[in-house]
Amino acid sequence: MVDIKFPDVGEGITEGTVVKWLVKIGDEVKADQAVAEIETDKAIVEIPTPKAGKVSKIYGKEGDIIKVGSSLVSLALPGEEIKAAEVKVAIKSPEIKHVEVKPEIRLPEKIIEEPSKVLATPSTRRFARELGVDISGVMGSGPGGRVMDEDIKKFAEVKPDTALEALPHEAMPPIKLAEERIPIKGIRKTIGERMTKSLFTAPHVVSMDEADVTELVVLREKEKKRAEVKGIKLTYLAFIVKAATVALKQHPYLNASLDPQKNEIVLKRYYNIGIAVDTPEGLMVPVIKNADQKSILELAKETEELAEEARTRKIKLSDLKGNTFTITNIGSIGGIFSTPIINPPDVAILGVHRIRDMPVAIDGEVKIRKILPLVLSFDHRALDGAQAARFMNTLIDHLRDPDLLLLDVT
Amino acid sequence: MVMGDIVTGCDVLVIGGGPGGYTAAIRASQLDKDVILVEKYDLGGTCVYRGCIPSKTLIHAANIIYDIRNPGNIGIEGSVEFDYKNIQQRRFEVVKKLRDGITTLCKKYGVQVIKGEAFFESSDKARITLPDGTNSTFKFENAIIATGSHPREFPGFPFDGKFMINSNEALGLMKVPEDLVIMGAGYISVELGTMFAKLGTRVKIVQRSSRILTRFDPEVVEVVSRKMKKLGIEIYYNSRPLGLRSENNKAIVTISDDKGNESELKCDKVLVAVGVSPNNKDIGLENTRIELDESGFIKVDEKRRTTDSKIYAVGDIAGPPFLAAKAFREGKVAAEVIVGLPSAFDNRAIPLTVFSDPEIATVGLDEESSRKGGFEIRTGKFPFHALGSALAMDKTDGLVKVVAKTNGEILGVQIVGANASLLISEASHSIEMAAFLEDLAGTIHPHPTLPEALAEAAEAALGKAIHI
Repeated sequence: MVDIKFPDVGEGITEGTVVKWLVKIGDEVKADQAVAEIETDKAIVEIPTPKAGKVSKIYGKEGDIIKVGSSLVSLALPGEEIKAAEVKVAIKSPEIKHVEVKPEIRLPEKIIEEPSKVLATPSTRRFARELGVDISGVMGSGPGGRVMDEDIKKFAEVKPDTALEALPHEAMPPIKLAEERIPIKGIRKTIGERMTKSLFTAPHVVSMDEADVTELVVLREKEKKRAEVKGIKLTYLAFIVKAATVALKQHPYLNASLDPQKNEIVLKRYYNIGIAVDTPEGLMVPVIKNADQKSILELAKETEELAEEARTRKIKLSDLKGNTFTITNIGSIGGIFSTPIINPPDVAILGVHRIRDMPVAIDGEVKIRKILPLVLSFDHRALDGAQAARFMNTLIDHLRDPDLLLLDVT
Repeated sequence: MVMGDIVTGCDVLVIGGGPGGYTAAIRASQLDKDVILVEKYDLGGTCVYRGCIPSKTLIHAANIIYDIRNPGNIGIEGSVEFDYKNIQQRRFEVVKKLRDGITTLCKKYGVQVIKGEAFFESSDKARITLPDGTNSTFKFENAIIATGSHPREFPGFPFDGKFMINSNEALGLMKVPEDLVIMGAGYISVELGTMFAKLGTRVKIVQRSSRILTRFDPEVVEVVSRKMKKLGIEIYYNSRPLGLRSENNKAIVTISDDKGNESELKCDKVLVAVGVSPNNKDIGLENTRIELDESGFIKVDEKRRTTDSKIYAVGDIAGPPFLAAKAFREGKVAAEVIVGLPSAFDNRAIPLTVFSDPEIATVGLDEESSRKGGFEIRTGKFPFHALGSALAMDKTDGLVKVVAKTNGEILGVQIVGANASLLISEASHSIEMAAFLEDLAGTIHPHPTLPEALAEAAEAALGKAIHI
């Protein structure tokens, strides 16, 4: 008999929630077969068994929180038998015989139907659900307090806050209407802990600038269709990742991390770019490995794939770590400027916003150009404002002149 | 959707083709979903093969035989001969007609029916095993479980199909037993006991408490008890079976009352009708996130959604009351919720009928449960013997009771009497429409008819009945 334990899956993960058991007692499993799906703070991972055998015990049920190192399942190794005590044998008596029993019959209880649900007709109850109104909180104006369609309509029109004050006590809507409590767990908890630590450890400085991307817009419009033929959605983000890696190579202090123990700055000669992705569960940051060695089309394709995997929680843990620099693309949703928080262990994060038509003075004349707002948050312990500004200049140069960007393609 | 080894998909997978399952499948298909309905046997479920329809068909025949032999005081006399096999034959024809009807409806609405057994492999995949043993895996967006229930055994007295039989086997007997012992005195016991008594069987009922039909208002049950006594049905109250043996192809049940007095009941068959157990095994529920209640029924919310958010459950498997009527409504609710409509099983009351003699039908709260629920109530009663119509038909045993809050809001109605099963629908509709006593009393009822009793009982509750 051997216990299969929840292994250390890295990234400082100490516990996980059992989403689903993939085996049941009595199943024969092969080595490397997944036995459970476990949701960690990062993703849902499948835990494989290193050994083959027969499942004899499953520790806990779905939804349970399991610590790293504790047992998931017990396996009877080939040759071992599951204990007889755990096998139920049905004994059937074919002949009628005289049996002495004290029967305990549980007849169905007298059905006490839930008395007096809301006093309203079926169509009115449905109408309330259509408007998203909890009818049990509506005071009826009809005979004997019958809730009428008009009551539902009025209730739906009143703003929640005033409704609480305007209604008599007994008609007060249940608390859940006015407030809702969402437990902080999983990804939400991780985001909170990491961001708090980052913001209160690293002295953040935010540098803001703009890039004139008029020509990049033209280029991207032209190349978009050709990329589509290959099934690739060519995004501005791919160009920005490319430009960032070029700039990072020239300004190594932004592609770095701090080692506080040794009091050293670690400059990294590999370029793994984290991309912040908005998912239903919260922000996730998949990482494009060795982004400097990939073409713009490859970057576009990989970004799209990783983002989709993150949104559907299919992403592998290994794709969520190893970042050396992070880009957050806020522009796709809105806003002009923001102050992003550095994603540890990076020392800098680049925020990109929406490209807008802006009046720009060129040679004494006002021209309309495509302007991309950029923000850079950096850790003042690792570098200074001048380095950051130089990095931004290189970045902006490459975004302004895409030819330059293409020349750098390796 | 192609059968084979590869995973194929559908929008809605319905497991079980009884009232809940086929209703859900048709409604989902009407709402443009791609629906697969998996049924182990034929479409129709317990209702068509083992419950409502066979029992109602046989009870109907037994009632005609009894009424001809016992016409009462209407001035005629008659005699009747019957061959039970012919009655059973007609039962099979009725069942077949309904089965064919349901099959045609599924075809008409584009439901794909697969004969086989379904087994959840995960929360979005199920394996379907065909009768020839081949398997296919289906991926579904949503599933609706409607696997129903089966008769529960009496502890210590397992069904053997020979002497110890369940209600299904009792309905399937091709010969009327001479002596029948029934364990339990719920509605199935009373219905089948009455039916067999009318066909000539000597019926004995063993009941552990001092009442029969314990979930019904005692005043209502009293009318049925009187008639059962008249039919020669013996009821052993406060008694329990001790053992069972066979002797010359007869079964002998030893019973004991609460004082320890033992007696032996000789019979051909022992019918056990002590409730139902859920069909929750061998369908792979353990591979989903579905939770069961302490009795093994699937936990559902108002929308009939289980604790596994893509999977719904309807009918008996979703818990009591175990009524086809409830399953029909739940099936529609689950299908509508799946397509995003704001439906919910929000009914204010569920009617329940017993095809006893005379019939019982109730909806909502009775006096006892209203008081337990903390309501100040007023009640109104109207006896059948004060009804012109009941007198004309010589069906004067019966009464209607209306229970309402003191402000007049109707909480429940209990009816015992001829055609109670038909009369109850007006009461159900009144409660569902949030009616008050005045609403029921102020509605014109055709005369002379039995439903007048409802309006009269409502008036009695208001303190101003004309005819009593």
